[in-house]
Amino acid sequence: MTSGTVILLTGILCAMACALPGTFLILRRMAMMTDAISHAILPGLVFGYWLANSPNLLVGAVGATGAAILTVSLVEALQRTRRVGGSEAMGIVFPAMFALGTILISRYFSNVHLDTDAILYGNIEFSAFERLVIGGDDLGPQSLWVMSILLIVNIGVLTLLYKELKISTFDPALTQSLGFNPILIHYLLMLLLSITTVGAFTAVGAILVVALVIVPAATAYLLTDRLIEMMVGSAIIGALAAIGGYWLAMWIDGSIAGGIVTMAGLFFALALLFSPQQGLVAQRRQAHLNRQRFALDMLVMHLYTHERTADEYSESSLGHIGAALHWNPDQAMRTIGRAVDRGMVVRANGNVVLTEQGRHYVQRLSVMDRVRSE
Amino acid sequence: MGTKMQHPIDERAAVTVHDLTVAYREDPVLWDIDLSIPTGSLTAIIGPNGAGKSTLMKAILGLVPPAAGTVEIFGHTSERQRRLVGYVPQRGSVDWQFPTNALDVVTMGTYGQLGWIRRPGKAEKQRALAALDQMGMADFADRQISQLSGGQQQRVFLARALVQDAQLYFMDEPFVGVDARTEAAIIELLKSLRDHGKTVVVVHHDLDSAPNYFDHVVLLNVQKIASGPMAETFTTENIERTYGPSKSARTKVAAS
Repeated sequence: MTSGTVILLTGILCAMACALPGTFLILRRMAMMTDAISHAILPGLVFGYWLANSPNLLVGAVGATGAAILTVSLVEALQRTRRVGGSEAMGIVFPAMFALGTILISRYFSNVHLDTDAILYGNIEFSAFERLVIGGDDLGPQSLWVMSILLIVNIGVLTLLYKELKISTFDPALTQSLGFNPILIHYLLMLLLSITTVGAFTAVGAILVVALVIVPAATAYLLTDRLIEMMVGSAIIGALAAIGGYWLAMWIDGSIAGGIVTMAGLFFALALLFSPQQGLVAQRRQAHLNRQRFALDMLVMHLYTHERTADEYSESSLGHIGAALHWNPDQAMRTIGRAVDRGMVVRANGNVVLTEQGRHYVQRLSVMDRVRSE
Repeated sequence: MGTKMQHPIDERAAVTVHDLTVAYREDPVLWDIDLSIPTGSLTAIIGPNGAGKSTLMKAILGLVPPAAGTVEIFGHTSERQRRLVGYVPQRGSVDWQFPTNALDVVTMGTYGQLGWIRRPGKAEKQRALAALDQMGMADFADRQISQLSGGQQQRVFLARALVQDAQLYFMDEPFVGVDARTEAAIIELLKSLRDHGKTVVVVHHDLDSAPNYFDHVVLLNVQKIASGPMAETFTTENIERTYGPSKSARTKVAAS
């Protein structure tokens, strides 16, 4: 396997593993917990290295996961005091944990090899060179093993607990009344998130891992209204971001982790703009159509109201319609044109007259009629 | 009030609440409630805002811990009787933007019988569809839940309770913000449940309709003001004691 293939595969597996739990974090409105966890694992990692007396990945990961769970518990304990809000609690706890980590490094481990750059930005570029060696056998790049196991664990746990996560996210009260423990489910998800963060930050670093968890899921959320599609979709978007990001980094000779996250951000922006239902473009289009329809409704309603009244002639003149409905002449002509196209009105000597079809349409609009038909 | 009703026979009680006090921190929300709800009744829990109606329901269900007192459902703890109990939370308590459809929400009612890990299969989906059909919502099975009207969402919630196939149902404000058609569907459902020997307890806030919909009532304002059969309990005097004198004029007609 070439070094490039290893990096690309590591990126794809990592992005997919991160995106899967991201779905539930988005739906539970706790996306920023990822950020808190990814920073707060530092002291646990250092403590693990200290215990193992070397940068041992496994021991470091156990320490980091412990620190992550501690962070979640501290944040929630702080929230329960009701003296600080949810995001403030995170903002207080995770810098404190991160600070503790930096103190530990500077005071006790300045001589140990602990690369701060790798912690902050990851070292996916070197993933081909760190080998997994057991009993003298080289089993291949360590990162591929880590990310594969991470992805398998995430798929396994999320498949097994899919129903429990879904119901406790949607309706915690019902969940509890059915005999499930929502708090247990919550902590299982947090444990999974912690393991994911610990595994992924070796590749993309503590700062960017949050993007891989949140952005693909947030993108998928804009594209579908089914939970399972959102999960599968977020994994696919994560993989595409990894491929695109790798390509981008090669092209501009830049950071690969940065490239992956940039691509994820780009995909999100595209979905935000162009999602068929929820995209801004589609919504503006819909709003425009609604405005057009409303203008048409106002026109025919105005004509209907004054039909067969003394002022019918003056009220239905082209000039008066614009003034009465607050339209500039251009708007008025366009709306009348559309009404003519639909056969609702006809123009007769500078006046606008309802057709039978137009009258029929107004009667359906009329509030009184609508009440009667219900 | 006849002596028989004053002391309902205990083995016939669906719910027995004894000395129940619930507090958020040291603020009592419910004070020393003694209560029994007869099996097979349609019981309304009525009281002003902040009276603790929903909290009473949640305490009976074991969703909020009591500061004091005990709750029994058919003679045992609510923990042990979970399978016998169906719950319809307030419609506003969930996020209707959640990415799922009506059928899936109803299927959630079967999760309790399935337990951990086991996934709903064809049989569960069938039961969910039948429940949707019973609530006149079969055509909306595939509809994204945010696209449903308030009344339709409420009917989805009731269908979800139906698939729980419970003996005792708790419904929190099911009539709030629903259209006339849904209101009629709910009433029909309540009566059909009672006809099948089920017990239904409903948090209700409309004094005028209460005597028409329910046969038993619990009047609550932090303390229990009165409880028992509607005709004897839902008196102007009791309503005044629950709400203060201002409401009495409005409800005289309904209570008579």
